[in-house]
Amino acid sequence: MILAAASAGNVLVWIVWVLAAFACLGSGIAVISFSNPFYSALSLIGNLASLAVLYLLLSAEFVAAAQVLVYAGAVMVMFLFVIAYLGGRADAPWAGGPSWQALGAVAASAALLVEIIVVIALKTSGRLSHSAKVDYFYGRPYEIGRLFLTDHLLAFEITSIVLLIAAVGGVILGSHSRETQ
Amino acid sequence: MNGPDVVWYLCVAAFLFCTGALGVLIRRSPLIVLLSLEIMLNGSNLALIAFARHHGREDGQIFALAVMAVAASEVVVGLGLIVAMARRRLDLDVDKLRTLRG
Amino acid sequence: MIAAAWICLFAPLGAAIAITLLGQRLTRRGAGYLATTSVGMSFVAALVSFAGLLGDSPSQRYHPSTLWRWLTAGPYDFGMRITVDPLSVFMMLVVAGVGFLIVWYSIGYMDGDDEERRYFAYMALFVFSMLLLVQSGNLLLLLAGWGLVGLSSYLLIGFWHERPSAIAAAKKAFVMNAVGDATMALALFLLIQRTGSLDFEKVFPQAPAFGGWAANLIALGLLGGAVAKSAQLPLQTWLPDAMEGPTPVSALIHAATMVTAGVYLIVRTHTLFEAAPRVEELAAGLGAATLLLAGLIALVQTDIKRVIAYSTMSQIGYMFLGAGLGAYANGMFHLMTHAFFKALLFMAAGIVIHALAGEQDMRRMGGLRQFLPRTYWAFMVGALALAGVPPFAGFFSKDSILAAALAHGWYGQLLWVVGMVGTFLTGLYTFRMLFMAFWGEPSAFVREHFHALNRDVVGVSLAVPVGVLTVLAALGGWLQFADVWTPVSNWLEPVAPALVEASGLQEAASSAIAVVLGITGIGVAWWIYGARRAEAPRSLPLLEHKFYFDELYDALFYRPTVFLANALLKWVERPLVFGSVRELAGAIRELGLETRSIQTGLVRTYALAIAASVAVATLVFVVVR
Repeated sequence: MILAAASAGNVLVWIVWVLAAFACLGSGIAVISFSNPFYSALSLIGNLASLAVLYLLLSAEFVAAAQVLVYAGAVMVMFLFVIAYLGGRADAPWAGGPSWQALGAVAASAALLVEIIVVIALKTSGRLSHSAKVDYFYGRPYEIGRLFLTDHLLAFEITSIVLLIAAVGGVILGSHSRETQ
Repeated sequence: MNGPDVVWYLCVAAFLFCTGALGVLIRRSPLIVLLSLEIMLNGSNLALIAFARHHGREDGQIFALAVMAVAASEVVVGLGLIVAMARRRLDLDVDKLRTLRG
Repeated sequence: MIAAAWICLFAPLGAAIAITLLGQRLTRRGAGYLATTSVGMSFVAALVSFAGLLGDSPSQRYHPSTLWRWLTAGPYDFGMRITVDPLSVFMMLVVAGVGFLIVWYSIGYMDGDDEERRYFAYMALFVFSMLLLVQSGNLLLLLAGWGLVGLSSYLLIGFWHERPSAIAAAKKAFVMNAVGDATMALALFLLIQRTGSLDFEKVFPQAPAFGGWAANLIALGLLGGAVAKSAQLPLQTWLPDAMEGPTPVSALIHAATMVTAGVYLIVRTHTLFEAAPRVEELAAGLGAATLLLAGLIALVQTDIKRVIAYSTMSQIGYMFLGAGLGAYANGMFHLMTHAFFKALLFMAAGIVIHALAGEQDMRRMGGLRQFLPRTYWAFMVGALALAGVPPFAGFFSKDSILAAALAHGWYGQLLWVVGMVGTFLTGLYTFRMLFMAFWGEPSAFVREHFHALNRDVVGVSLAVPVGVLTVLAALGGWLQFADVWTPVSNWLEPVAPALVEASGLQEAASSAIAVVLGITGIGVAWWIYGARRAEAPRSLPLLEHKFYFDELYDALFYRPTVFLANALLKWVERPLVFGSVRELAGAIRELGLETRSIQTGLVRTYALAIAASVAVATLVFVVVR
């Protein structure tokens, strides 16, 4: 199937896709596997970067840029700050607790994965095979901005409020309380 | 479309999501749990973008951007909690924080 | 005239409500004046109605008046309806007149009691209830008045509620009356079923058309109510105990008015009774039996009020005898004279009791003639009237009943004999009471405890009504004299035509024998108690225990009920009701405890639960779709 669909321009895309996909999956597994939180955070940065590549392959340029700037650039930096602040206390022991919990977790996740794949492969009956043709203007900032300010204005506004609340909450959580310490 | 079908992207997204879920369920450190949560969110983002591409409209991308913003807020609050916990010398272990038991 | 009738009815109610609402803002004496004035107003209004009726020709004397429609249910329609006709006006005059005197007397009698206001409110309520009963134009309102007088009686018997005996007596009276109320209600149901209404003018004409058993049942039900209210056999045991109440209460309720309601009922619904002649005869028979029974028991009583109570029971037996044999006017006439002299006797006894600081035992009295001369003469007049000695009131009324009995046939003649024996007994026990209390040497008790009445408001209020009643007891009988002069019978003729009329010979013979027997009774009493020539015979336990009726009812009704109640408590209520509640609470607590263990406190467990549920839900969703 892969070989049949391959053509000249396609090969490059396929190669990039395979690399990015495997990087994504690998770094994902790495995040949950390392016991040192610092390594986990770095793996997550790698994950985010490969995801940005995948977004580019999907012609979502603006989102890819936002991903790198916001996620990898701001959120992960925050993470790293906290990990640095915590220092040795951030060491994350692996799973403890009842063993049936770990087993159950693996089972649940596996089941979920299998289900989703089965749905995608079998139940969509070919509807997912032919994607729409998009032109040069697809995914431009102009389109994103237009949609944000017309069709999805409510989401835009509410998201800004959520961000405000989070900022206030962060300040409160971080402030020194008078009685304790 | 050049390259793999949307279906392949969706499989990657599914895998990411389940990996993140596994991480949330298994790890004991709140920091790692937050990171796994991020992975889950990214997985769903990927699925959204893929579907947006499939239908040829940008609405999925809008949704993904909103998710990103919300994820950022959530990380702020979560990290604030963790810092507060650390300041009070609490163990950074989800299993140890069980005062709300019945 | 109609307006006067409504005023007559509602004036005492207004007083009762006013006393209740004004509470402490009204002085105790003020409450008494208010109540007395309202009843006085009722009496005046009754006089106005009477005058109005006099103006009509005899066949026109029937004026119903509906104030509002009280109850409508489908084809049935009951209104707040009174009737102004000869019978109701007769009763109105008696109730309001005697009531007025007694409430006035209460001002003096109850003076100094802490709860005087409550007393006068209840008395006003009672007068209203009794007037409602006698003025009502349909049987439903009559039943309402019936119940209300029962309530007032309960409230007033138990007036001194710190006394357990008073409370027990009140309960006893109420419960026994409730039995009567129940039978009456059943009779009314049957009536509604047969005639679709309870208005007098609709029901009575249809009476002859009822089937045999229906007519009998209706009459029996009404008789049950009458027997309960008038303390006749077999529901007579509550009346002596009712003497626990204050003396004016005994005078008004248990002598003059409430207990006569049964007689009024029979006379009012006489067409229903005439449709069931056996039941009517039963009524007469019960009256005769009660008359005898009460007379015998009165011979051994030591409490002065109880003697008078049994005497009341006996005299109402006479009234039932008269009404049951169809001599309605005679029965009502005796009701009126009895109200006069019985109230007089009670009130005079009340003065005696007051003077002796509450003592009621006759064995401790003696020689009061010297201390209370005017009361003695009042008492003497009342006693002579009761015994049926001419020219006092009782002679005319009682003998007219007995003469009518003689004219009724073999059954009537049998009852006549009983009535004659009763006359002898009446003279005997009445004068026993008088001689024991007033003659002889003053006992030590009397010397020690006697205190005279003052000439203040109290004294006046005690003395004047007694004086008025003395005059009435002396002269009231002259209102009707045998066949010669019969205004009472003529007056009541349109409403309750008599079934029997005694001939002149029967009247004369019966009266003569009755007077002789009465005087013989007085003589025997004088022999034993007055002149102390002979020793009183030892009394029988049968008489002292009032023919064991109380014990019989206790064994028959009270004990089984208590036993059943206790058994139900133990076997049904405790395990089922309490137990089930406890079980339920326990089960819920168990459930809660078990559900509690789900909350482990571990976040990861919760998250795992969510993930697993999602997996399962997705599976279901995929499979189903």
